[in-house]
Amino acid sequence: MKQGLKNPLFWGLSVIMLLNIYLIAFYAPVERTMGVVQKVFYFHVASAWVGLLALTVVFAASIAYLMRRTERANNLALASAEIGTIFISCTLLTGPLWAYPIWNTWWTWDPRLTTTLVLWFMDLAYIALQGGGVSEDRKRLSAVYGIICFVNVPLVFFSTRWWRSIHPVVITSEGMALTPEMKVAMFFSVGVFSLLYLHLLRLRVKSLGLQRRVQQLKAQLFA
Amino acid sequence: MPKFWRTVYWIYLKDLKEEFRSTDHLLATLVFGTMLVFVFSFALELVEVSTDQVFPAALWVSVFFMAILALQRSFAKEREGGTLDALLVVSRERSVLFYAKFLASFTILLLLEVVVVPLLWILIEVTGPKVNLWLFLASVFLGSWGLAAVGTLLSGITAQLPGARLLFPILAFPILIPLLIGAVLCTQGALLGEVEPVLGWFYLLLIFDLLFTILPLVLFDYVVEG
Repeated sequence: MKQGLKNPLFWGLSVIMLLNIYLIAFYAPVERTMGVVQKVFYFHVASAWVGLLALTVVFAASIAYLMRRTERANNLALASAEIGTIFISCTLLTGPLWAYPIWNTWWTWDPRLTTTLVLWFMDLAYIALQGGGVSEDRKRLSAVYGIICFVNVPLVFFSTRWWRSIHPVVITSEGMALTPEMKVAMFFSVGVFSLLYLHLLRLRVKSLGLQRRVQQLKAQLFA
Repeated sequence: MPKFWRTVYWIYLKDLKEEFRSTDHLLATLVFGTMLVFVFSFALELVEVSTDQVFPAALWVSVFFMAILALQRSFAKEREGGTLDALLVVSRERSVLFYAKFLASFTILLLLEVVVVPLLWILIEVTGPKVNLWLFLASVFLGSWGLAAVGTLLSGITAQLPGARLLFPILAFPILIPLLIGAVLCTQGALLGEVEPVLGWFYLLLIFDLLFTILPLVLFDYVVEG
């Protein structure tokens, strides 16, 4: 904790996070029909983006683990899945806050909602498979599962997309349905959340590494 | 390559023989599936919904749960019997093991469905003037194929971890979502006799099945090592 407070990255991140909130609250205009509730969009999109980014990192780190078998690659995949779960939870929580006043329902089986929920389940299943274990088997098999999950994401998305969609599509091939100020706030928010993800990832990988080191030392001591 | 398929064939035969010699698990799974079907049709009867509309959902949820029970065993039994290492010696190609196990699970799943699906059909009283039987059979076939492929792959994963039995359905559920959607909608299309609108779903099932039949060719080497 103390070390974390001394970290300049932490302070830098705090400042831009405050700036992000300022941009969302004051710089971006209030949406004409939806009103203030639309502001949740900036958090919602940013955390959904990070959720997908995190799963991509799980995929890449899993491949790296299968190739090189380094402790670090496994820790990276696990840490990314853990942090991804938190961010996807944010998406799943902020969504209904907006959906209830706008769609008049908390939840609907829309492609994006379904895909996000499935991503959440995949992350949880992946973490359960890792199970805090230290055996080589677990790491290898988790890596295989991490790859299967990622490969499956496009299928999940397209299957649910064909099925039905009422989710607003903000970014289409023709451009974006946002005012310039809104765009600035959105991209800034996405950027800040990505930095937050990277920061958390670094911390978590480090702490996982230390955790494994303690386990090894204990094993040596009592061997 | 013929040698590859010959080995697959022998392991496949071994697996089926094993299942039929000790019928306890096969029988238990069949009873479980039958009970699921009874519970479904009974519960649906109570709430008085139009039953053939819920048939696709009831069918696939039943098959899904039954498959979980049947597929988990694929590699778990080798682990229990301590025969996994012996199987690994059979061929240098790890995927031989996958394809043999996949075919065995697929066969067993189809055999179970031969009993369970008609039973549900009768109990729910599917009556449609335009039921497209071929599409129905094809969607059951492709759906079971996908279930067997994913199930075999994941069974290889969970069987190697002590106390990971509960993990199997948890790992399988998120992966099988596209299959579930495709299979339910294809079945519905078959019952209504509308082939054109569900053709896309039919292709989705095909793509899903192909993906999870080809992917193990690369990945299975990493699943069973040693």
